[in-house]
Amino acid sequence: MTPEEIQQIFFVECEESLAAAEAGLAACRDGTQDDDTVNSVFRAVHSIKGGAGAFGFSALQAYTHTFETLLSDVRDGSVPLTDALSDLLLRALDTLSDHVTAAQEGTPAPDDAALVADLTAAQANGTLAQPAPAPAQPAREAQPAMTVPDADEEPGDVEVDLDALLDDLIGPAPTVEPAPPAPDWQLHLHPHAGAMRNGAEPMALLRELAGMGARCVTCNLSHLPGLDMLDCEQGYLGFTYALPASVAEADATEIFDFVRDDWGIAIGDDAARPPVEIAVKKPAPQVAVKEEVALIAPVSVETADTTPAAVAAATAVPGAPAAGQSIRIDLAKLDRLIDTVGEMVIAQAMLAQRLEGDTAAKEELQMLEGLTRDIQESAMSIRAQPISSVFSRVPRILRELAVSTGKHVRLEVIGETTELDKTVLERLGEPLTHLIRNAVDHGIETADQRLAAGKPAEGTLTLSAEQRSGRILIKVADDGKGIDRARVLEKAIAQGIVAADNQLTPEDIDHLIFAPGFSTAQAVTSVSGRGVGMDVVRQNVKNLGGRITIESEAGVGTTFTLALPLTLAISDGMIVNVGDQTLVVPLTHVVESLRPGAQEVQGLGTARQMLNVRGRFVPIIPVGHHTGFTGKVMQPHEGVLIIVDTQVAGQAALLVDTISDQRQFVIKSLEANYRAVEGVAGATILGDGRVALILDVDSLVGGALGQSTTIREAA
Amino acid sequence: MATIILPARCDRAATTALLPEFVAAMGNDDLEIDASKTTLVGYAMLQLLASAKNSFARLRIVPSEALRDAARLTGLEIHLFEEAAQ
Repeated sequence: MTPEEIQQIFFVECEESLAAAEAGLAACRDGTQDDDTVNSVFRAVHSIKGGAGAFGFSALQAYTHTFETLLSDVRDGSVPLTDALSDLLLRALDTLSDHVTAAQEGTPAPDDAALVADLTAAQANGTLAQPAPAPAQPAREAQPAMTVPDADEEPGDVEVDLDALLDDLIGPAPTVEPAPPAPDWQLHLHPHAGAMRNGAEPMALLRELAGMGARCVTCNLSHLPGLDMLDCEQGYLGFTYALPASVAEADATEIFDFVRDDWGIAIGDDAARPPVEIAVKKPAPQVAVKEEVALIAPVSVETADTTPAAVAAATAVPGAPAAGQSIRIDLAKLDRLIDTVGEMVIAQAMLAQRLEGDTAAKEELQMLEGLTRDIQESAMSIRAQPISSVFSRVPRILRELAVSTGKHVRLEVIGETTELDKTVLERLGEPLTHLIRNAVDHGIETADQRLAAGKPAEGTLTLSAEQRSGRILIKVADDGKGIDRARVLEKAIAQGIVAADNQLTPEDIDHLIFAPGFSTAQAVTSVSGRGVGMDVVRQNVKNLGGRITIESEAGVGTTFTLALPLTLAISDGMIVNVGDQTLVVPLTHVVESLRPGAQEVQGLGTARQMLNVRGRFVPIIPVGHHTGFTGKVMQPHEGVLIIVDTQVAGQAALLVDTISDQRQFVIKSLEANYRAVEGVAGATILGDGRVALILDVDSLVGGALGQSTTIREAA
Repeated sequence: MATIILPARCDRAATTALLPEFVAAMGNDDLEIDASKTTLVGYAMLQLLASAKNSFARLRIVPSEALRDAARLTGLEIHLFEEAAQ
């Protein structure tokens, strides 16, 4: 693994830490925290600091140091957690996120001077406001850099303090074997050979440890060979650090969480622990493992046995890092696996078709089918991630909107553990952010307006996610004023999006906000409904193979529902025949299918036919006619009608010759393999080896109705 | 007296490159290591310097602040710079 790859892992873990801190601070703000909440936030920030130090992101490290110093005091109770402090910590977290982004992208670090001053002042004021607990006093002396002294000091002083700390700590210069000056507790460390693998530098971790107030009291040189026997890849030195009692063992050892396999770590004074030992000039992996035994299980320091069984037993001792909990995989490898699984699904379908009617192989085929589906689901689940990774960014958006709009909005989240494909998740962030901004900007009223309307001053935004019928439904609901349809229609007519004489249903009017021409800045500020960039939202959702619908009630609020596929690679579809062609209709669009009676079909104009579906007329669209394939049936009552739901024109009835199957299909990009074709979303390979086109239902219906439907033009 | 000048960046790669030079100098009783220009001192270099200290009768290290800082951090200051304790 290259240093760049390791660094990439660090940034992934930063994201996880930021999300954890966000959740913890949100709980603090809402008053739902427990005893470990602040500690979890501290751990998250501290973890980022550790990595920042190891990778040399000094600005990030300095900032996290200030941040965690305050958190440490909050955790200890020396700084009370007030609402104002919660808000400050949340702001600090936002800036921390910016710091991480800057480090990742190599851009200048954000200007955190004012915030660092605030954090420092909060820490100083909080500490002064309460008498320091008596037991903590000696520890304070031992770790001057952990407290940021004066509120009016420049933020950059944090770095200076770290240096001063080192100077102070050295005091009566540590000797090779000096007696520790009454340390509160001791940490024994021994970097093994692997500690310098892949460019890793043990010194960075030792520096961070020193930053917590630790000082080296013993350096064990007894295993250091002469120059002629020295191996630069090996670790020969052992260290004993004294740490103040105020530093929790878990916090100190957390620094080494990344490198537990490559460091020997033991806690306790010399009497309780054996001295660090190392078998010099033995094969590195065995040295590393044996050393781990020596440190973690001191009672079994029988290091002569180097058999694989002994090594395996050594790695299983209590305290050793738990194995097999998770593994990070290169996404490209995973995508290759998914592709191969997709091919396997096709091959299985082909085999099943080839052996159809072969009773001898029926049982094996069923077993193969079951296994194939299991493998496919397992492969897909590897890519699945909880939607909380997207939802966790929303609080920050709301905080920023509160500043820019003055509207304070409470967030409710439901179903955040719902999982969906990583790619879908990654591409979901943008449309979701847009919807949320719109909800606050244009949906939720100002506090005065809300109070006048008999609502709480604070608006509520509800995000929910659930899996239903093979799809993920994500809802963004606000309790604002709802879409002002009269204004939307007026604006749409004024902009030429719809004709003035059009008779539109309320739902049709709602969907006008997705029209590109409706999303100019001018329109947004003058329309009290929604509008800005909603065409982009709809297009993003459509690109994900999903659909977006609106429910709005005046004075009550608006709900946007995004229906997304579980995965972009494999989907469910209805296999239909039109003439000699086999086509696929994605199941996400299908409402029902039926064979109409002659009396249920009525003519409209010269060539159009409408289907009466329980009192509502929907246009009939002969698929053959609009795709260029010659269908065998031209009359609806001779074929099958599939009622589909579209974003562009509501419901429509697709006329096909027959429906032959309903099953999963592997989506192949037509654009990547041939070129984009209007009305076609992609292609798939059928069980018999033939290629079938996947219909782009929105495009097909929109195109078919385009000559006379102004709504379609708007979309 | 032989002198070995350390580069500014004394990481593991530099240490590995310099080790043969140190070994070759073992025939001398005296050795001076000029580390005055070092700005980064890694763990491997500290080990090399500590080992060299044991291998030469008279070894003088001219440290930079970065080296002193690294030595303090690891409790090696006395071992490497004996004169500092006197």
